[in-house]
Amino acid sequence: MSVFMDLNISFTKDIKRLRNLIETAANLGFSTVAINYVYEPNLKDKRVIPKPMQVSALFNKLPVVQGKSRPITVLSRLTIMASDASHFRQNAAEFRFYDLLAVQPTSEKLFHAVCMMMDVDIICITVTEKLPFFFKRAPVKGAIERGLAFEISYSAAIRDSTMRRYTLANSACLMERCKGKNVIVSSGTDQPLELRGPYDISNLGLLFGLSEGDSKAAVSSTCRSVLLHAETRRTACGIIYTIQTPPESSHQQGHEAPPLDDNRPTSEGAEPPPDSEDLAMPPAAKRTKPAPI
Amino acid sequence: MVRLKSRYLLCEINVAAPCNRLLLDDRAVNGAVREAVANAHGDYGASRCGIGFTVKYLNAHTGIVFLRFPKSCYRLIWSALPFITVIENRGRKVHCSLNCLHVGGTIRTCQKFLVRYNTQQLHRMLPKCKSEKEKEQVREAILSCSINPTKGRRGGFEDEVDSGEEEEE
Repeated sequence: MSVFMDLNISFTKDIKRLRNLIETAANLGFSTVAINYVYEPNLKDKRVIPKPMQVSALFNKLPVVQGKSRPITVLSRLTIMASDASHFRQNAAEFRFYDLLAVQPTSEKLFHAVCMMMDVDIICITVTEKLPFFFKRAPVKGAIERGLAFEISYSAAIRDSTMRRYTLANSACLMERCKGKNVIVSSGTDQPLELRGPYDISNLGLLFGLSEGDSKAAVSSTCRSVLLHAETRRTACGIIYTIQTPPESSHQQGHEAPPLDDNRPTSEGAEPPPDSEDLAMPPAAKRTKPAPI
Repeated sequence: MVRLKSRYLLCEINVAAPCNRLLLDDRAVNGAVREAVANAHGDYGASRCGIGFTVKYLNAHTGIVFLRFPKSCYRLIWSALPFITVIENRGRKVHCSLNCLHVGGTIRTCQKFLVRYNTQQLHRMLPKCKSEKEKEQVREAILSCSINPTKGRRGGFEDEVDSGEEEEE
């Protein structure tokens, strides 16, 4: 029994619809979903990076996943649609609030930069139009080695026949270069009726050009490795993480390093994070500066 | 032994409003699937779908449907099912999505799965029950779920599906 994840559920301002979406996802069998907030630096009215909504504002009690006894996990994710590397500020403070970071590159230069250098987890492939650039083997291979995943979303294909052609064509292009490794398939929709069950999606993966094993992994194990990659990105290679101690205690922050890593000094490259100015933030792992490798 | 092998796909139809589900019937679902396969796979898909495919059972109350495909092309036709967004019946359109629950080699295995699945659904409904009386009814329904051999296949099947129905809406 594997854990299925859908890492791209569009955020809508309509709370009822968002709730419905997450309930449908839990009914279909997804154990984890990620609410996607889109940030487009090019558009005039979308200059501000949105702040993710607290999950507790949506549900008092998260719905239970079909077939399991645990409630669904809801994460938050930011997608940056950019065509230029200057739009993307490394280590911007707002990125801390999100569990996953994704970039949708619209130019060859940015694609190369994102694959080889940038600190993100997911690279989105355009599915609604003809590919603006062709994939080259070198950046794709670099991205796979670094652990990034390429994401294809299928909801455009369900809506419209022309989009279906673009989706299948673009994904075929990608498969040629990456041979089906590190690919995730997700919905990208904000309508509950456009969500599809995990077995249906892994069958769709066959149409996209994935093999049977790869297409099942695209909904389960590759998604999980993306989540782990995001965690290590946020917490200095997974070695050091800080926990915000509850406000009643006398000392401000606590540093914790797991006992396994005795060789590395605990404060290597990590500055103590700023004082907890936002007590409203739930006690989660705060981001420290990544250690220079 | 030479035997005609087929695959039975157990699907659930999700609709936005449960009252719309009652408008569906086998011919509408049949037509919708054929159209989706023809759209996705063209003439080749439509031809593979032509002879072997039937809708074996449809329960409009729960939205459970059994589809039968020939074994050689079931993956092809299955890959077209996610593209179904609307089913039309006598001029009325129902917006829906098809979710595949189980693939089996015979109707009986699908039935066994359906009994287990319905039991699970009743378990999920138990916390949502608003009164003690409803909870008792649901618990009784859970205990009585089984494939009833005496009433005959179709009858026993409808029995345990219907017993879960009281609390559905």
